[in-house]
Amino acid sequence: MTIISAEAGDSLPVALTVNGESVSAEVEIRRTLSDFLREELGLTGTHLGCEHGVCGACTVEVNGTTARSCLMLAVQAEGAVITTIEGLSNSDGSLSPLQQAFADAHGFQCAFCAPGFLMSAKCLLERNPEPTREEIREELSGNLCRCTGYHSIIESVEVAVRVGAVTAPESVKMFSRESDDETEETNDA
Amino acid sequence: MRDINPGRFVGTSVKRVEDPRLLTGNGSYIADVEVPNMVHAAFARSPYPHAEIKGIDATRARTLAGVHAVITGEEMQKLTNPFVPLGMTDGLYTPLFWPLAIDRVRMVGDPVAIVIADSRYIAEDAIELIEVDYEPIDTVATMTEARSPNSEPIWPKADGNVLMDSTREYGNTAAVFAQADHVFRETFHSHRHSNQPMETRGCVAELKADELVFHSASQNSHGFRWVLAMATGKRPVLESLKTIVTERRDRLKAFAAGAKAFADKNKDELAKNDNAGAIYQMKKDPSTAKYLGRIVLNTFALGNDRIPRVVADDIGGAFGVKGHVGREDAAVIAAALKLGRSVKWIEDRNEHLMIGGQAREESMTIEVAANSDGEILGFKVDMTMDQGAYPAAPVGASIFTGMIRAMMPGTYRLKAFEFTSRIVTTNKAKYVAYRGPWATETWVRERMLDVVARELGMSAAEIRLRNMYGTDELPTRMVTGPTLDVRMSARTTLERAIDAADLPAFREQQEAARAEGRILGVGIATFHEAAPGPPDYFDAVQPGSATVMGTEPARTLLEADGTVSVFTSQMPHGQSHETTYAQVAADQLGLPMDQVNVVFGDSSKTEFSMLGTGGSRGGPMGGGATQFAARDLREKILDEAADMLEANRDDLEITDGDIHVAGVPAISRSFADVATTVREKHGAAGTLEGLVSYDGGPGGWVQATHVCFVEIDLDTGFVKIPRYVVVEDCGEMINPAVVEGQIRGGVAQGVGAVLYEKSTYDADANFQAGTFMDYLIPTSMEIPDIEIIHVETPSDIEANWRGVGEGGMIGAPAAITNAIEDALAHRGVRITEQHLPPTRILELAGVIPEA
Repeated sequence: MTIISAEAGDSLPVALTVNGESVSAEVEIRRTLSDFLREELGLTGTHLGCEHGVCGACTVEVNGTTARSCLMLAVQAEGAVITTIEGLSNSDGSLSPLQQAFADAHGFQCAFCAPGFLMSAKCLLERNPEPTREEIREELSGNLCRCTGYHSIIESVEVAVRVGAVTAPESVKMFSRESDDETEETNDA
Repeated sequence: MRDINPGRFVGTSVKRVEDPRLLTGNGSYIADVEVPNMVHAAFARSPYPHAEIKGIDATRARTLAGVHAVITGEEMQKLTNPFVPLGMTDGLYTPLFWPLAIDRVRMVGDPVAIVIADSRYIAEDAIELIEVDYEPIDTVATMTEARSPNSEPIWPKADGNVLMDSTREYGNTAAVFAQADHVFRETFHSHRHSNQPMETRGCVAELKADELVFHSASQNSHGFRWVLAMATGKRPVLESLKTIVTERRDRLKAFAAGAKAFADKNKDELAKNDNAGAIYQMKKDPSTAKYLGRIVLNTFALGNDRIPRVVADDIGGAFGVKGHVGREDAAVIAAALKLGRSVKWIEDRNEHLMIGGQAREESMTIEVAANSDGEILGFKVDMTMDQGAYPAAPVGASIFTGMIRAMMPGTYRLKAFEFTSRIVTTNKAKYVAYRGPWATETWVRERMLDVVARELGMSAAEIRLRNMYGTDELPTRMVTGPTLDVRMSARTTLERAIDAADLPAFREQQEAARAEGRILGVGIATFHEAAPGPPDYFDAVQPGSATVMGTEPARTLLEADGTVSVFTSQMPHGQSHETTYAQVAADQLGLPMDQVNVVFGDSSKTEFSMLGTGGSRGGPMGGGATQFAARDLREKILDEAADMLEANRDDLEITDGDIHVAGVPAISRSFADVATTVREKHGAAGTLEGLVSYDGGPGGWVQATHVCFVEIDLDTGFVKIPRYVVVEDCGEMINPAVVEGQIRGGVAQGVGAVLYEKSTYDADANFQAGTFMDYLIPTSMEIPDIEIIHVETPSDIEANWRGVGEGGMIGAPAAITNAIEDALAHRGVRITEQHLPPTRILELAGVIPEA
């Protein structure tokens, strides 16, 4: 691990893939990934609810698993493959089957939390395409919603499961759950 | 009217119009707003709850690269007017206050300076460089301290820290209490907690060449527009007078005409107001009159470039908190005007938890006069409410004391009622409206009914059935005045809930479980809710308040392309107005829903209204106004089409936007054809429109009974909710999925309030819950599935849609705490507080000693 000492204003080059497109930029080291996505790439679909890693509104997919983009620096995303809510829709901008399931089941109200929930649901269903209601409840408990009481969100995911809205792509199998666990162990050690 | 296609969209769970935008990340929330030449604001805030400011040195902050300005409280005072109370109540003193603290801070988080910089990052760096010399003074942390004559006065012009203390009596309580077999007395405490929408507050003051546009996450565009114009429109008085005389004659005339029209229209309402509140306030603080005079003069003289056009777009929840104008909002506008640059401020979560607004801190002592057979004769209630340091703008906690008083008797027969309201000030954050701001009345009443029932050896169901008005007794009036008309169905919801709960079976289960060491309980709570309430409800709250709260406007407009726009002063923030109003208008007009566009949030486009979204007005008043404005437009369109088709107007019908003689669909005109013809006749600006203000119609109540089942684990103190049932009557539903979402969301906030959430302060008023690790919002693991049973009492009212935004949060704390007491009653536990986290459950149950 390289330790970098950084002052306000210091920057580093970073290259990553966001929603299938290559992005290179010189980024201030202290800049969070969420601010980079929102302010420098204009991807304002990723929302900031608490900026301390609890609410999950800023959840994006990084290398096949969920990440809180408010707790990650942009420079930490060097080489990463990132999907945001903007990358979830069909290529013509219409609702993907997962998004459609949330529309069908009246999933959200103010929908400020929606981008985070949708990214968490996507990652959940890629790993486990047929979760039970209790599994959905548990897996989505890292995202806060203040409007719905969660009932409609859980039902939306159940609808998505029923219609097979999400299937595990090859890229996700590369970053399977086992390899995550290994990474965590290495970090703990 | 033969062909209105009733119920084509209304009454069905139409998919949301909002979703294609919001589910793809294409919403436009306040943090997404970017305008040219924009810089960023952050606030330096007090770390002390109460201190004198001896000096501020911002030299180092000002020289930091990327910083454009640091404006301290003293400098801000020269740029702004104070916030003056706009709603004044007899016996209430409301302190005047400024956007930034000047010589004294009164709470942790009190803003002392605003920093403007190229980025939020740099602005926060600069805050670290501001040196403030504070001299701490004694703090007032609790209501008990505030009531002590020895407490340090927070506001110099108040007598101590009690800002209001007034008693109202209905009937003869002394006589009624004297004749009762029993008088039961208990004191209940509702704790400070807060709205916490997932999006915090925020704004962008955009300076355009000839316009000041204030983008805001605001529930109330017009209210913000005028309150902020008053707070930021500071000019020399003489200059204002000159401007008014030389340039504003037309405005003066228009205002005089408007004021006269308003006075004529509201003659009866205005006559009810005796100005006692204003007189009391002016006596306490004569500067109120001075500032008010100046502000009115200033506001009259302001150019259109200085009266903010308020624009709200997508809002990430609010639940009341975004109906209040923030001191920060005024500071941001003042800074932008001073710098000549657009300024953006987005509150962070720590700020929102700390000073964004908190609610519900009330203590109530209730005495109940009852006979041995369970008949309840009267209540005497003494309430103290902790409004925190600064009153919310433009109206603070006082308006809620009136609502609590009016609603406290519920739908029970009372012969007499006495209510004391006391408002105290402490070194804590401002008290704001939170979803059913009067809900403590339901919690205390329904909690106390269980206490009385237990004392008299009755069940919770029996005491309610014994005392609640039956449908055969309607119409009648609450002892506080509001009419309970024939549609008032609280008792029906109670009876249905008792059936659904199958209480006899539950009691068997409860006993069997107890034998196994498992602890179960059930709680019931019934309430009715002014949503929006009958016209006389407003009189009971504050005479004359119907002039502001009593109606809601809607305007419909035929656009050139044949679509119809509905302009509403409601401000959606999750309630799906874009969908429900389109349902209502499309049904009236015979249009497909995608031909109706709902316009909101922009004060330059919507009709004037002082309230915006709040008070569960969206369905009844806003929905009703939309229906009648759409019908008005339909009539005008048919008149025009009759000419075009050379047909008898009464023979026309509209099918999917085609206007034709009934039975002759081949020869038709479209809405676009009508729009073209109107323009040909009347010029490019020619159009057709409808405009209606609506009061919600008679009735006005929503009623519901909540039943909560709990299981308590006395190893952990954890309360599980295996079943939760809501039986509610909101009249007919425009969109059942939207209604159910509102109810479940409200119950979830009630679960949070009782079991998880608290805006904790220590004994010296230091705020302790500044992150979501300290302030616990329930997750999907904590919120149970919630069953909903709808009672739709038939009605002859044409727009019988009652508000459902608030009820879930009103009933839930009562049902949950009642269930917890029921579960622990065999251990002699009485629940008198609303916040019951695991440690408190274990203390109450005697498992661990009290801390």
